[in-house]
Amino acid sequence: MADAPTPVMFAIVTTKREAVSGGMAPIFIAEDDQERERIAMWLSRITNAIVHDLHNGTLILTVNQS
Amino acid sequence: MSSSAPIDWTPMIVGFTAGFLSRLISLKSGRTHYPGYPSGYISQLALAVISAMIGSSILTSLLSKEFTAATFLTLAATQFRDVRNTERKTLEQEEHLILVSRGAGYIEGIAITYEARNYLSMLVALLGSALTLIGGLVVGIIGSVIVLAIAEIFMSGKHVGDLIDVQPAKISFDKGTLLYAGDVMMMEVGLPHSRERYEKEGLAVVLTPKNERGQAVLWNVSQRQAITYEAASAVGAQKDIGYPEQSPLCRMEMPAGTGKAGLSILPVDHNMSKLIQAIKNTPVLESDKWSKMTSPVINRKEM
Repeated sequence: MADAPTPVMFAIVTTKREAVSGGMAPIFIAEDDQERERIAMWLSRITNAIVHDLHNGTLILTVNQS
Repeated sequence: MSSSAPIDWTPMIVGFTAGFLSRLISLKSGRTHYPGYPSGYISQLALAVISAMIGSSILTSLLSKEFTAATFLTLAATQFRDVRNTERKTLEQEEHLILVSRGAGYIEGIAITYEARNYLSMLVALLGSALTLIGGLVVGIIGSVIVLAIAEIFMSGKHVGDLIDVQPAKISFDKGTLLYAGDVMMMEVGLPHSRERYEKEGLAVVLTPKNERGQAVLWNVSQRQAITYEAASAVGAQKDIGYPEQSPLCRMEMPAGTGKAGLSILPVDHNMSKLIQAIKNTPVLESDKWSKMTSPVINRKEM
């Protein structure tokens, strides 16, 4: 329990393509906020990933590696 | 064939009853949600019978010069060493199957307690039979009751409620996505749907240590996991695989480090008093018994 979880970037969902680049995670580009949230929710439910909002139009999904 | 004098059964019976009762009381008062099923109780009762038996018969067999019997009884006592391992293994297996885990510290605490309880019932049985041997039936019974009471008081550890104040708090979201329990930041909830659920149905409490010991207890991460587990098992947690952000959480107020902690939960049963009661009744873990916290936290209050 005391071990801190190691989050690994799993996916990026964004409406601002130019704000994100490169990296190991796939980038999903959404048309608007509503679609962005829908994609994030689906990915989260499917993969058990946790959604974080970076407040710049980008959501990131992380999974805790055990 | 060696024992010519008739055996006096009274000390054995009194001792056995006292030892068995000692185990029975602790089984009932155990608030660890374990054992939860009849089969678990049966195996614990069987062990209780054996340990009370050993404790109560050892003096009688020694007095009737049955040294072989006495030796075998001490041999049987060593069997109880395995109890701790068995309990730990069972609970660890279960850990992968439950959504809100107990945490290793809590499991170890439960396992140690189960082992100790068996030895305790053995000791109570021994004392009960000794008292009956010395003072007769009446002294034995009264003495056993006193020994039982002392053992219960001595063995019942502290609860979180003794050291920590638990107050209801409001769930709020700062900067749109940061979940707060009172003043304590818990986590980032990125999905609007989950935020709505928290605002509508979530419960939160703030845990404030009453003294230095309480602070030491709260800073322990396995203690907070135990608190979370007890909270979730009291009011339930709306959580399933695929909903990681709906896990109940207990976190310290960071980065301020005031020593306060917050707990957020999406309960099935929306019952604040039940939640607070469950948190207060959580046992303080063995692994917490490190020294009192003095420095940064206390000093920070003056800053």
